[in-house]
Amino acid sequence: MVHEKTEHDEEVKTVQQVVNSESGKDFLREVMKMPGGEKILGCIQCGTCAGGCPTRFAMDYSPMQIIKMINLGMKRDVLSSSTIWVCSACYTCATRCPRNVSFTTLMMSLKNRAILENMVENSVDSNFHKYFFEVVNKYGRIHEPELLVKLMDKTDLRSLQHNANLGLRLLKKGKLRMRAPKTEQNKWVNNMLEKTSEKVSQ
Amino acid sequence: MKYAFYPGCSVESTEREYVDSAKEISKVLGIELVEIPDWNCCGAVDAVYAFNPLHSVALAARNLALAEKMQMDVTTLCSACYFTLSRTNKILEEDSGTKSKVDAALESAGLKYNGGVKVRHFADVLLSDVGLEKIKENVKVPLNNLKVASYYGCFLARPPGICNFDNPEHPTRLDELVEALGASKVNYYGKTRCCGASLGITNEKIMLKLSKDVLLSAKSAGANCMITACPLCHLNLDAKQKDIESHFHIKIDLPVLHFTQLIGLAFGMESNQIGLQRNCVSPKMIIPLFASNTQHK
Amino acid sequence: MVNVKDKIASLDGVKIAETFEYVCSNPAQERIKKAVKEQGLNRVVVASCSPRMHLETFRQAVKSAGMNPYFLEMANIREQCSWVHDDKSKATNKAIALVRAAVRRAQYLEPLTPSKLKVTESVLVIGGGIAGINSALELADKGYQVYLVERNPSIGGHMSQLSKTFPTFDCSACILTPRMVTVAQHPSIKILTNAEPIAVKGSAGNYEVDVKIKPRYVDTAKCIACGECTQKCPVKKPSSFEENLVEEKAIYRPFKQAIPNASVIDKDYCLHFTKGVCGICQKFCKSEAINFNQEEEIMELKVGAIIVSTGYTLMDPHLIGQYSFGFHPDIITNLQFERLMLQGLHKPSNGEVPKKVAFILCVGSRAAIAEGVGYCCKIGCMTAIKQALLLGKSVPDAEPWIFYTDVRAHGKGYEEFYTKAREHLTTFIRGRAAEVIPNGSHLIVKAEDTLLGKQIEEPFDMVVLSPALIPNKGTKELAYMLGIDLGPDDFFLEAHHKLRGVETKREGMYVAGASQGPKDVRETTMESMAAASKVATFLGKGEISVSPEVAYLVPDRCDLCGICIDKCPTKAIGRGKKEVILDTVSCIGCGLCVPICPKEALDLKNTTDKQLVAQIKGIVEGDEATPKIIAFVEKMTAYGSADLGGQSRRSYSPEIRIVRIPSIGRLGIKHVLHAFAAGADGVVFVEGDDGLLKEDKLREHVIQFKKDLGKFRIQSLRLQSTTTTLPQYEKILALFDDFVERIRKLGPITQEKREEVKKFLEGEKNGP
Repeated sequence: MVHEKTEHDEEVKTVQQVVNSESGKDFLREVMKMPGGEKILGCIQCGTCAGGCPTRFAMDYSPMQIIKMINLGMKRDVLSSSTIWVCSACYTCATRCPRNVSFTTLMMSLKNRAILENMVENSVDSNFHKYFFEVVNKYGRIHEPELLVKLMDKTDLRSLQHNANLGLRLLKKGKLRMRAPKTEQNKWVNNMLEKTSEKVSQ
Repeated sequence: MKYAFYPGCSVESTEREYVDSAKEISKVLGIELVEIPDWNCCGAVDAVYAFNPLHSVALAARNLALAEKMQMDVTTLCSACYFTLSRTNKILEEDSGTKSKVDAALESAGLKYNGGVKVRHFADVLLSDVGLEKIKENVKVPLNNLKVASYYGCFLARPPGICNFDNPEHPTRLDELVEALGASKVNYYGKTRCCGASLGITNEKIMLKLSKDVLLSAKSAGANCMITACPLCHLNLDAKQKDIESHFHIKIDLPVLHFTQLIGLAFGMESNQIGLQRNCVSPKMIIPLFASNTQHK
Repeated sequence: MVNVKDKIASLDGVKIAETFEYVCSNPAQERIKKAVKEQGLNRVVVASCSPRMHLETFRQAVKSAGMNPYFLEMANIREQCSWVHDDKSKATNKAIALVRAAVRRAQYLEPLTPSKLKVTESVLVIGGGIAGINSALELADKGYQVYLVERNPSIGGHMSQLSKTFPTFDCSACILTPRMVTVAQHPSIKILTNAEPIAVKGSAGNYEVDVKIKPRYVDTAKCIACGECTQKCPVKKPSSFEENLVEEKAIYRPFKQAIPNASVIDKDYCLHFTKGVCGICQKFCKSEAINFNQEEEIMELKVGAIIVSTGYTLMDPHLIGQYSFGFHPDIITNLQFERLMLQGLHKPSNGEVPKKVAFILCVGSRAAIAEGVGYCCKIGCMTAIKQALLLGKSVPDAEPWIFYTDVRAHGKGYEEFYTKAREHLTTFIRGRAAEVIPNGSHLIVKAEDTLLGKQIEEPFDMVVLSPALIPNKGTKELAYMLGIDLGPDDFFLEAHHKLRGVETKREGMYVAGASQGPKDVRETTMESMAAASKVATFLGKGEISVSPEVAYLVPDRCDLCGICIDKCPTKAIGRGKKEVILDTVSCIGCGLCVPICPKEALDLKNTTDKQLVAQIKGIVEGDEATPKIIAFVEKMTAYGSADLGGQSRRSYSPEIRIVRIPSIGRLGIKHVLHAFAAGADGVVFVEGDDGLLKEDKLREHVIQFKKDLGKFRIQSLRLQSTTTTLPQYEKILALFDDFVERIRKLGPITQEKREEVKKFLEGEKNGP
């Protein structure tokens, strides 16, 4: 480089390092083995997914850009993006993709990977899944009040108020079940968990 | 007509009027819903999957294994469960690695799943097995003057290959049902647009916007009522309609019924028979529109 | 060091063995001719370069000395020996083996004569669009009788529907219709419309085609195209020429410049046929041209060559549901937009002039989904750009928007055309549209501008979709009828992607235009010229030479079981009374029929079983090298690839000894057994990528060999197969090296085993 170094140069170099690195290529290879990742090399970056995505406006990267970034091996950017958490799993993109990429399924796999690699520790997004998992295993069925109580930021008064309002609304209609639903617990969940808990971070 | 009934977690609590009305109309139509004994949470699309995919598939497969013993098709009221259970069949068919691990998990719970249990949304049971003709025969109160926006949401129409209830971009089956009940159908943009699903918990503002778009597009197309086929969609569109109104400073006032409640109304059932009093946005305003056809309060 | 010449001179039957430095040179050729004449030789073996280079040269040489040219055999000791092996003694040994094999084979060579076949000097052109029209004119001008068969009631094809062509803005009808008129007036062209071929028999140079002509219920000789009948007709129907945008009558003229310029009745709508009433048109026709009793006709055409120019159709955009085609009248296809331009541009919904128009590209193209096709439609981008510019020209304040994934502006003048569109304020959005939402009087297009990274929602007066181009209806059936292949894209398959773009796998059958794949008018015209040229070359001498290297029946063996009939890739075998009949003109000499005959009733001239076995034995018997590998190599592409490796001096293991054959399908298990019995330790099979056995069929064929070898406990690892393209020599030579290593590790086959196999073969020979 002939000009003076600026921090922009560092950024370019960093992207180049990631893109050309072995770990980047490893990430691509891993993603291709994930459910939903099989066909991402076939993506022609047409943008149909981004165009129809109902939550795109809240994403830092569009679905199309996420695939591009995976192809370039940009692991950290992908797993720490808001995109994967803001996806509502509506399947609009996967239904319309001309190259048959199941982006929605890939989002679920990437959520899992982000959780496993502690990319989004203690955010409401990852905690939702963590507590859902816990509550379902506790009772065999989900118990929304308990889930919400676990998730709530107990210091945020406004949101506490807001959730209480909803709770009250449902309670008035007889739709708030305070007692948790249970299956015949005995051992079945724990037995299963022994077989299915391979690399779960708790 | 007997079916292995999978209620789904939401239906038990926050949307109990959905299962109540479904059971009522089933009585009339000769459908026997045999609840799968000791069913568990299906995993809710990606709620469990994102944390532990294998456990999620195993949870869903447990229900299918229980249903297999009953030797009946599974039917569910929840579109998300319909998707999750259908997807499970596909995963077990196509991914032998996952299948063997799930088999081991099921075995540890004393169960075995051989595959092939059909998973059907309750709307499909009504439309394909019972048929519009029989439904029409039971209509005592044609729902005149009701302009009903049928909300399909995500999983009645998509994704093709897993959920095949209707055409992914232009579904019509619920609209046909609406017309068979004597009401008019409404064509509106939001009918297959996402309501926001579980983002209502993690990113509420996004969910509010999405549901707002659905409701407003129905309203501007002339709907005076909406029907849903999924308890989570119903929660977002009905129970949270007030939150949408206050967040965006607008008035919507669009009653959202479970499609089974609409059928119940047409069958001449009492409001509390089909749990109308539990709908958060009061359906009281639409009753007079067709009430002259019978004695409804 | 062992001397090749001396070794060969000592073989049975060899009278003279000489070495020359340039055996293709004149003096050497003269020497050969002299030896043939003076020494009364009846076979000549030339061991030198590849037969792909000079086989014909040497054949001519011996022919001029009075010997049948098929008594000339060659051994490739250059490209496949001296140029590619470093170990001199091994290379020498191999050269001896190759020449020895040639000498042994030579003993079984037979005199053969190519036959001359008179050809029919007329041509059938199937499809009367611009491709068919151009080919027909070109050939008719050369003096051939041309039959132009068109399925629709008029020739012209899709080009007659277009407004202007890109990038020159020529009026499409203006450049097409004069040609149509010339075709109509040409004394050597017979136009058959409302017509389709229903059966094809015969062989190259002499095809017999049955053409079914559907009645149009109007006598084209009498009709003066006055239009009275159309005016009076009470029945309306959607007009296919107008792409269903407007209606026409049940009796109609396809379009103003239709050829034949006459009316036609659509009997699915005409009241006379549907209800037995009306007949008004007949009443009013002053020329008495209407004839409700006209009947279907079958015409038998005898032609020497056929050109397939059946064109394309558009994919049904209903299949891509997100664009809501069919849910609003102002969502149309690009072909419908062409018609609107010619009707006076207006919105189908209310007749108003559209200002803001969205052009959505790639509707069904470049896809990997069941509803779509995998290839690019080639003309979508340019059509949209053209239509955007035309919109701008005809509507003040027009706002054309093009939603694209990649703009393909590949041809001459196309990039400049694209620049013009931008300069004339066409908005380009880089992002394939996600959906089209009908919203009352306008349409909303949702897309992501991927360059800006922002979602957009724009209202438009009209949306124009670019559907994928697919083969016309009936293509599969026609391909089967003609005995030619379709490619993986379901279009007719050309013989070679680069070098034989208008030929097909069948001699005398050619393909031109969009029937081979999507393309524009310019490329179509060039292909139609090329096809006409090929036809003229083929039929030009009035006769064609038919290779004598064809299949033949061994007398008194065939029991008409018919297994060979389906196996033949060119339908050259038919059922006779007592035995099968071989059409030697259609036969391409592949030999696939030979090994599958349970009675060994078929053989192949110039690659007979005796010749093959002699060559196999000759190539491994008589030297002590180890291991010995025979590589059976398909004679054109695969052999050519090995030659190319030689030209590139790519060294490989000298244990590989190549036998050239028409196709691996020519081989049966007995040849493989002979190879092992005679001394081979491993066998490789290499078929050309474009050969008769495709990858999966080749694998099946060899797997069967492996199973049969199991009886003798010969390990299946001793066989390997692969396909190759011509330039892929690295692949096959590397495979050779690996295979030699594998066989070396496995060790040679034991003498006992070889004896066992020999015994079995003896037993077989003495009667199955």
